[in-house]
Amino acid sequence: MTNEASLLYNYLMVGGALFALGMIGFLVRRNMIVMFLCAEMMLQGVSVSLVGWGRFHGDWGGQLLVIFIVTVAACEAGIAMALILMLAQRSGKLDATDWQQLREEGQPAYVDREVPEDPDYKEPVWPTLTPAGIEPPQDIEETLHRSRV
Amino acid sequence: MTPYLLAASDITVRELLFCRSFWGIVLAAISLGLLIPQRMKYGRTVGGLLMIVAAGLLGSDLPLLTNWVAQSTFWIVAAVTLGSAVGTISSPSPVHAAIWFAMSLLGTAGLFFMQGAQFLGVATVIVYAGAIVVTFLFVIMLAQPEGHAVYDRITWGWYPKTFSVLAAAGMVGILTMLLAGLREQAYAGPSVCKPIASADKGEASDALAPSLGGQENEEAISKAIIQGTAVPPVEPNPVLDADHMAVLGGQLFSKHLISIELAGTLLLAALVGAVAICMFGKPHSNIEEALR
Repeated sequence: MTNEASLLYNYLMVGGALFALGMIGFLVRRNMIVMFLCAEMMLQGVSVSLVGWGRFHGDWGGQLLVIFIVTVAACEAGIAMALILMLAQRSGKLDATDWQQLREEGQPAYVDREVPEDPDYKEPVWPTLTPAGIEPPQDIEETLHRSRV
Repeated sequence: MTPYLLAASDITVRELLFCRSFWGIVLAAISLGLLIPQRMKYGRTVGGLLMIVAAGLLGSDLPLLTNWVAQSTFWIVAAVTLGSAVGTISSPSPVHAAIWFAMSLLGTAGLFFMQGAQFLGVATVIVYAGAIVVTFLFVIMLAQPEGHAVYDRITWGWYPKTFSVLAAAGMVGILTMLLAGLREQAYAGPSVCKPIASADKGEASDALAPSLGGQENEEAISKAIIQGTAVPPVEPNPVLDADHMAVLGGQLFSKHLISIELAGTLLLAALVGAVAICMFGKPHSNIEEALR
């Protein structure tokens, strides 16, 4: 028999850490899709602790609540995808800073101070393809001797 | 009932300084500050090493499960979940972030399986990792096909980063302190905690003394427990039922029927909303505006 209290404690810790990581990601990242992934991660943290509580109390309520969380997350993802696609079509970027004209009146605008060079960036190397559209010269002898074409 | 959520109100500074969880949280905060995308030489390497140390400190301070198989499984699955979560928030490329998130979801599914929540584990893999993350990847490919963007590397600057990391560390620290009562019970061992209050006592006691029946049986058992001659019967956890799906479905469609209807309505509304956004959310050109 496993120790139920320590199992619950461990699950609550993992759930809390997942929630905190998702919160950091949502506050720090600027890519709208990554922000959304982090919101989903916060939901996962809550689900982990709910399942832990459900096991501890011997009650199905925890798991049932998680089922509804999954439903709401699916709805949320569907609507957010449509919204983000529309926003990306308008601005051409997934950057949340592009929509900062929606901010409150007295707030100063966020401007990037300096954009650093990307150390990992390499010029893309494209494969060289053989030129198409010209028929290669055929050897008559070879076509005559081939048994099956 | 004993208070499980008894906060550690009489904690001293000395105890705090000798607490492994405290230093683990501090180290994790520092390493997250280094790991989050930014321009700093060796920032990611140092941050990753610090994060491993912090994970070791935090993991070693968790109360042990009695079974070493369960313990090692839990450590591996929790490390996969939290490590991939760190990867999600720290990788500059959004595609990598989405794939790390899928990995983290697989870890969460493992955690669900460990708790006996089989349906939820499978649903997490199918619905989250299989459908939602793939949709996210589609949208990334549609909206940002070059994959590499400036705003993923510089984020918002140091000020929001520092304060969000501090806020998260404070949140986890306060949660740890709040759970001190539960932690003491966890260290006290399995004999102290009897969380399941309402379970069928008849079965367990029948197994102990089949010759007696009903009321007398229970009295005899409780007398024996008081005298110290018999161990209290271990009540089976209803969540670990063998017919997992049947019981879960029964609960879902009897007790929570209205919630199911509501969830279905919500899904329909979300579907209609997403289609409406796609149809009417397109930017109008000037010519279209003039023709209206």
